[in-house]
Amino acid sequence: MINLFKLIISLLFFKIGIATAYADYSNLFIPQIKYEGGNSIPHPTAIDSLLGQVERRTSIETNRGLAQIALSHPNLYQYPFIYMAGSKEFEVLSANELQRLRNYLSYGGFLLVDDSSSNTNSKFDISVRKMIEGLFPQVPLKKISRDHSIFRSFYLINRVTGRKQVNSYLEGINIKGRTVLIYSANDLGGAWARDKLGQWAHNIIGGGSRQRQLAIRLGVNIIMYALTLDYKKDMVHLPIILERLKRHQLP
Amino acid sequence: MKVLIEFFGLDPVQFNEVGLSLSTKDLSYAWILILFVVPLALWFFWISLKRIHSPFRKTFLISLRALTFFLLIFTLLQPELEFKKSHILKNKIAVLVDDTKSMSIKTFPSEQSRAEIVRQAFGTNQGVLESLANVFQLDYYLISDQIEPTYSFSSGGHYSPKKTNTDFEAVFSKLKTQYDGKSLQGIMLFSDGGDLGMPPETISSGLLALLTNWEGPVHSFQAGTNHMFKDLAIEEIDSADFGFVHQPVHLTVTIGASNMGNRNIPLVLKDGDTILLSRVVEIREGRNRYSVQLEFTPNVLGKHVYSLTVPLFAGESVAVNNRKDFQVKVIRDRIRVLHLNGRPSWDSRFLREVLANHPKVDLLSFFILRTLDDDVGSPTSELSLIPFPTNLLFNDYLNSFDLIVFQNFSYKPFIDKGYLTNIKNFVESGGAFVMIGGELSFQGGGYAQTDIEEILPVYLEDKPQPFVDESFAIQLEMNPSRHPILQLEKEPGGNSRAWEKLPELNGINLGLKPRKNANILASFVKGRDKYPALVAGRAGKGRSLVVATDSLWNWNFRQIGEGGSGRHYYRFWNNLISWLIDEPETRLLKIETHKERYEEGEEVLLHVSVFQSNYNPYVGAKVRLTIKTRSGDMKLATLKTNENGEVSHRFIPTEEGFYTIKAETETSKRKLEGKTEFSVFSETAEFQKPRVNETLLRRIAEVSGGNYEVLTKKTDFSKANFKNPKIEIKTSSKYVPLWDNWWVYALILSFLSLDWFARRKSGLS
Repeated sequence: MINLFKLIISLLFFKIGIATAYADYSNLFIPQIKYEGGNSIPHPTAIDSLLGQVERRTSIETNRGLAQIALSHPNLYQYPFIYMAGSKEFEVLSANELQRLRNYLSYGGFLLVDDSSSNTNSKFDISVRKMIEGLFPQVPLKKISRDHSIFRSFYLINRVTGRKQVNSYLEGINIKGRTVLIYSANDLGGAWARDKLGQWAHNIIGGGSRQRQLAIRLGVNIIMYALTLDYKKDMVHLPIILERLKRHQLP
Repeated sequence: MKVLIEFFGLDPVQFNEVGLSLSTKDLSYAWILILFVVPLALWFFWISLKRIHSPFRKTFLISLRALTFFLLIFTLLQPELEFKKSHILKNKIAVLVDDTKSMSIKTFPSEQSRAEIVRQAFGTNQGVLESLANVFQLDYYLISDQIEPTYSFSSGGHYSPKKTNTDFEAVFSKLKTQYDGKSLQGIMLFSDGGDLGMPPETISSGLLALLTNWEGPVHSFQAGTNHMFKDLAIEEIDSADFGFVHQPVHLTVTIGASNMGNRNIPLVLKDGDTILLSRVVEIREGRNRYSVQLEFTPNVLGKHVYSLTVPLFAGESVAVNNRKDFQVKVIRDRIRVLHLNGRPSWDSRFLREVLANHPKVDLLSFFILRTLDDDVGSPTSELSLIPFPTNLLFNDYLNSFDLIVFQNFSYKPFIDKGYLTNIKNFVESGGAFVMIGGELSFQGGGYAQTDIEEILPVYLEDKPQPFVDESFAIQLEMNPSRHPILQLEKEPGGNSRAWEKLPELNGINLGLKPRKNANILASFVKGRDKYPALVAGRAGKGRSLVVATDSLWNWNFRQIGEGGSGRHYYRFWNNLISWLIDEPETRLLKIETHKERYEEGEEVLLHVSVFQSNYNPYVGAKVRLTIKTRSGDMKLATLKTNENGEVSHRFIPTEEGFYTIKAETETSKRKLEGKTEFSVFSETAEFQKPRVNETLLRRIAEVSGGNYEVLTKKTDFSKANFKNPKIEIKTSSKYVPLWDNWWVYALILSFLSLDWFARRKSGLS
């Protein structure tokens, strides 16, 4: 009930629609995928909040706001980073939508999938896995190793978390050496989201503010990875990064 | 004999021998007849005569039958008389005389050249050679890597060695072919053994195999000795024909020293007049060969002629071998790109993909991930950020890059302004620079009135809002099929269509005014307004380019979304990189020769192509050709280009050595230059290893069963022994068959008739 109330409040403050995103072409904007069934906007402020953190912490310029985009939308390719969240079962994507998403990811796009249910084997999780199986039948969803650039693209991260730590890892799909899809079961959006007064919208389950910080850092790193790819694996960076990783056993 | 020849109606002058031969080759049936059938038949016949009591008559009848059998066998054997004329042939001896330049080297203390020693030996042994010529046929040859028949030595003619290469393996191989089936009984070899292809102090396996199977001895006579032979030589330079710019080139130099005593000598490597490196080589008595490893790093692309020299000391036998030139074509193995990004963006991310996937690019990227205003909310130890190594990049290693990319990058506060001067110098001395647009580029990056502005092909005007985030259509300002950057497709129609299909761009940098000599390749169009989008230009010897937007990635990802592909985006950037780093195919003046190496006296063909800055042919351009050799610079010709912007020129170089041809022309905008290099060789390789190769000559004699001897005034050729088997040859012959005539058949018939008659008379059937 509280969640429903929050959603209504959010809707009053955020104009949902792709049109809001067109202002600054040069800045980063992340629309959310609109799909049939389930709830495609479990945390309406999550991306806005994350982009705010990205803007505050990094040199990346962002366009904040909430926008939904259907996979069939002609402007999909204006946004190389899209976000898909939910907590419930959703309808199977049509063959056309799957094909479009497959091409989108294969030719440069990036998708972050976030399970907001905070439960293992949730209905959303089952739907997502079914979707990914249809998307890349030959490429299974795999655990992302700890030496992946995602864990060092901005912050040095050695713990995967979210609002609730359901899994201690991220999963992903690699196409031609690039991770094109990341799946988190830990409700990252829940940790990022704020209420209308700018306070954190949800309590963190199990870890407190440090866990929220780590969730934000992971969000920043995922965005940074999408924009810089394996840049942090260039030889010039390695000695310093490895030295820091050796010296500091991060919490 | 004469009577017999005349009996058969032949001329006794034409024939001097008669022989009997049987034309039937298979005699087995004749033997069966003679040994079994005929005796058996005669025995039966003899039994059949038992009723005849007269022994005379029995003997007469059996004789008739035996004569008949004899004639039949005679006919079956087909005997022939062979009338012939035959001669006794002389066996052959090949006399090989070294005809290469090394034979002109003098021998101490007589000061005679090796060739003179040979000539003298032939003079003193004239009588021996004449008596040898009475018994054998002496075939004289001048040898190098060829065999050339000569009569100089038999007729006392002129002998002046001039060939450029000794190759004993080729010589013996050719002799083997030439004397195949002929009676060559041996060889007399007069040489200094200076075969450059032979391994040191031994004989090659190829030559060894040839001599092992040789019929007859090879007597080797050594011309000259190494006694008191004083020489310092660069014998061999082992290096690749090409090297990579900014990468070390390795050389192995072999220095030969003969009777040079104990001394330290400098080995100097030069590029033109510039000394690249010098190495001291310790020459020690008793050691003749020294191997020196050298390494140098070429920094300029193109063909380069390098020279290695050792000093010339008094009393040296050969002066020309103290210097050796060699050519290295310096090419680009990798394109080293420094890619600086002011902030992570889609434009920088897609460009990084192009650069990282380019097979020839070595990419060093830096992204400014945080600014001083950003609050990262964590200690540095929890960040992956590294300090920006400005001094390392813009001072220490700047010249190792080929291309610097500033993408939406503001130099403040990361780069000290002084480093901008280094970048300017880097470009003006041949480097490449591209500035890609965005809020932090051009005026937004604070580049107005800095050294960076000076190398850009645009002026930076003062604008209150230098970057606008709007959509613009792009319009080409040049023929896209001409300019190498704009060639997205090979076929002109397809190229134009490719440009038309590219999506519009958004976000442009304003206030960019192209310089006078710059080329505007494309503009943004908004209503009636036009703004430069792609501008290319030169700065000193380098090239620079401006991309006045941060949305070129639209030509990749967005194009794919619209049903196209990112292929043209990749092609565009690859073209742009090629043009920026001045790849040969993007040059406005191209000069080339049809060969890289010419023999002395050979005609050189030069071809020059000139283009305008928009890459249209430059018709009627005055091209000045200048030639540079060791002797100095010289004007070669002034020519005009034809309707295709091309011109050719032929000439014959006057001296050996390495040549640089420079072509210059002045277009309306600037001066164009191009150069090419080639070499003209008058082989002096024979002097690189001038020592007498005693080991080789000794081994040649040993392996073939001949004698080895050093030529002196007392050398006696008669010690060279050769076998002399008798060889006959028929010059004419005629066969007369003895069986194929009416006489034989008539006799057989007569004997049979008489036999029949006598048997009837004796009462037999």
